[in-house]
Amino acid sequence: MKWILFFGALIGLSFCGREKFFGDQVFRINVRNGDEISKLSQLVNSDNFKLDVWKAPSAFSRLVDVLVPSVSLRPVKSFLKSQGLEYSVTIGDLQIYHEMDSIAGDFPDLASRVKIGHSFENRSMYVLKFGTAEGGRRPAVWLNAGIHSREWISVATAIWTARKVASDYGKDPTITSILEKMDIFLLPVANPDGYVYTQTQNRLWRKTRSINPGSRCVGTDPNRNWNASFAGEGASDNPCSEIYHGPHANSEVEVKSVVDFIQEHGNFKCFIDLHSYSQLLMYPYGYTVKKAPDADELDKVARRAAKALASLSGTTYQVGPTCTTVYPASGSSVDWAYDNGIKYAFTFELRDTGHYGFLLPANQIIPTAEETWLGLKTIMEHVRDNLY
Amino acid sequence: MQRREAGSRTGLGARRRVAAGKSCSLGEGVSIAPLVPCQRSRGWTSPAPRRGGAAASRHRAGKLGPGRSGSGAGRRGPGAGSSAGRARPGRTRAPGSGPPRGRRGVARRGLISSSAGAAHLEPVRRTPRPPASMPPRLQPPPASGTGRPRAAVLPLALLLSLALQGVAAAPAGAGEPEDSLRRQDPELPRGLLEQAARAALHFVNFRAGSPSTLRVLADVLEGRARVNPKKECQVDLVFTTDRYNPEEGEERLGKCSARVFFRNQKPRPAINVTCTRLIEKNKRQQEDYLLYKHMKQLKTPLDVVSIPDSHGHIDPSLRPIWDLAFLGGSYVMWEKTTQFLHYYMAQLSSVNQWKTNDDAIDFDYTVLLHEFSTQEIKNKALVPLKFPSFCPLILTVHS
Repeated sequence: MKWILFFGALIGLSFCGREKFFGDQVFRINVRNGDEISKLSQLVNSDNFKLDVWKAPSAFSRLVDVLVPSVSLRPVKSFLKSQGLEYSVTIGDLQIYHEMDSIAGDFPDLASRVKIGHSFENRSMYVLKFGTAEGGRRPAVWLNAGIHSREWISVATAIWTARKVASDYGKDPTITSILEKMDIFLLPVANPDGYVYTQTQNRLWRKTRSINPGSRCVGTDPNRNWNASFAGEGASDNPCSEIYHGPHANSEVEVKSVVDFIQEHGNFKCFIDLHSYSQLLMYPYGYTVKKAPDADELDKVARRAAKALASLSGTTYQVGPTCTTVYPASGSSVDWAYDNGIKYAFTFELRDTGHYGFLLPANQIIPTAEETWLGLKTIMEHVRDNLY
Repeated sequence: MQRREAGSRTGLGARRRVAAGKSCSLGEGVSIAPLVPCQRSRGWTSPAPRRGGAAASRHRAGKLGPGRSGSGAGRRGPGAGSSAGRARPGRTRAPGSGPPRGRRGVARRGLISSSAGAAHLEPVRRTPRPPASMPPRLQPPPASGTGRPRAAVLPLALLLSLALQGVAAAPAGAGEPEDSLRRQDPELPRGLLEQAARAALHFVNFRAGSPSTLRVLADVLEGRARVNPKKECQVDLVFTTDRYNPEEGEERLGKCSARVFFRNQKPRPAINVTCTRLIEKNKRQQEDYLLYKHMKQLKTPLDVVSIPDSHGHIDPSLRPIWDLAFLGGSYVMWEKTTQFLHYYMAQLSSVNQWKTNDDAIDFDYTVLLHEFSTQEIKNKALVPLKFPSFCPLILTVHS
């Protein structure tokens, strides 16, 4: 009986840790001498702050990476300051990649981390592949997130979903049957340079960080850069615009990496792009008001998914084709996917509807991810049952 | 009700007038000076643009300006009504121009009324307004309503606008749209009804002038729109609202009916809106008062850069600042809304607070607005806003 309680406590703790993951920061502390090491140990070992050492000092490195829960940020900072300990806050994408690595490590038979390319500033682009069969090109689902860097809830939802897929495989019949038939590829940070920029410089940055020759303005809107009515209505040719489509389609290496991977794979059936905010579930087209050939079916699926999503906490999503539901948008990922044979192409605009907007509080991350998961499963179930 | 000629721009001047009893009477011993342009008192000068060019503006919370004379029981009468803007003085300025301020974001021509409502809970009646000549302007409604005698011990009257009534902006221009009625004509912009509802709500919020009665859109119940040959768009609609800051377990749905007139791609839609009261007057006054008290206790200078922070967190002690910013921001968002563009408040940047010698609280801040559908983030200096006194209106209480 005792060991049940012990394991329960352990699981409880780690779940708790998972809950507080977002909003946490990783401090990189430079320990210069033995005295500083002992001060740091003092801090880490004290139970008050629930610190978690990610990387301990070694013979080769005097750098210690410590995960600090958001609630402890202030006191830890002032402790470090008062003790004269040098530290810097590491940036978000490292945390994400660390977590992806951790998932792949925890579920080696199911999940693997795959590098698909790099960003303009040479950051790696990683996807998590979930697959139950070796080799071959099973029909696959692509989950895209974080293409607009200020939409942090999209990244958070994606990484939560990754661990959910891995943990529920073999336990939840739906996801198990989905993975028996299809692979899932998940790209949590489709715009790593932008994501880092939102952590360090400008929380509301949207675009990539590529340089525009001849302009003082930086970046292209990566969701106007795909080859689907590129430079059409709903995009701008002004590099200073937030919806600048870029000099040509796939000019952004981040976009090109995904395009190349998907085309090389050749067997994707579903492409879902996560954004925020507005609480919308949309399908093609964004670049025209013309009805997509599969609009009726996509609409039905989307409505079922929105209903499933709402069943958890009552969060309501509006459903419809992009152009008339939100606004015209050309060169979008979902339109490109659809026009390239990926029939089940959907865009989620996650919580909320404008109260916090991009700055969704951390305590809404898990509820958002949990409800979105129900919507995603509905879509994937339909794909599983309607493979073409 | 007399329309005041807003001569002197100082709070002091206005207060004197009120004290002299020339203001519109609200009955029951409370007077509110009617709409007058809001202007910086105490000879403030427009601060130099800072933070990458975004001019900051003073947000004055608390009692009105200098001089304490003229209030009934030796109490400072806080201004009432909502003013999120600096209005044109009287009618002497040409429409469309405001006092030049350098950055567009600082100059404001809003005319905000002190709205006041009946003490009962029925939806208040709309007062018909004569159409003004182009461009549309906000007309102050006759100030009417109730007040209550206050105990001398309360330092602040929270006699802000009571329920909304007939706050209206005159529709612009000549005559009625000529096209026949149609529902959501495909030529009309998408989501036009929601657009109109949002514009109406920004208007309702800043006119109500209270951080405790802020509303957000719940659902559009019905609506229709018509377009005239000049591509101006009139939308009539009914919609429900939620409280912006809903309390635990509280389901307070309000209802509004509005007529919104969008000029073709030009901002500042003309609004005529009536809403049911969301929160009982006394309760609102209490909440506003608590908010004021809370803000007075904030440590200055504020150790804050952005609200919310990157993770969407607003320290509870700073929540009032956000609410006030939303109130002031509502004015700016109303001003900028067209049938194609709408806004949400993304963040407060550069909040500065400093203490003054009197009981007022001075704020200096800039809001970041998220613009649909361009996705741009607009830096907007917030207009001077006095809380709970809304410039330059003061409430005096006859005890």
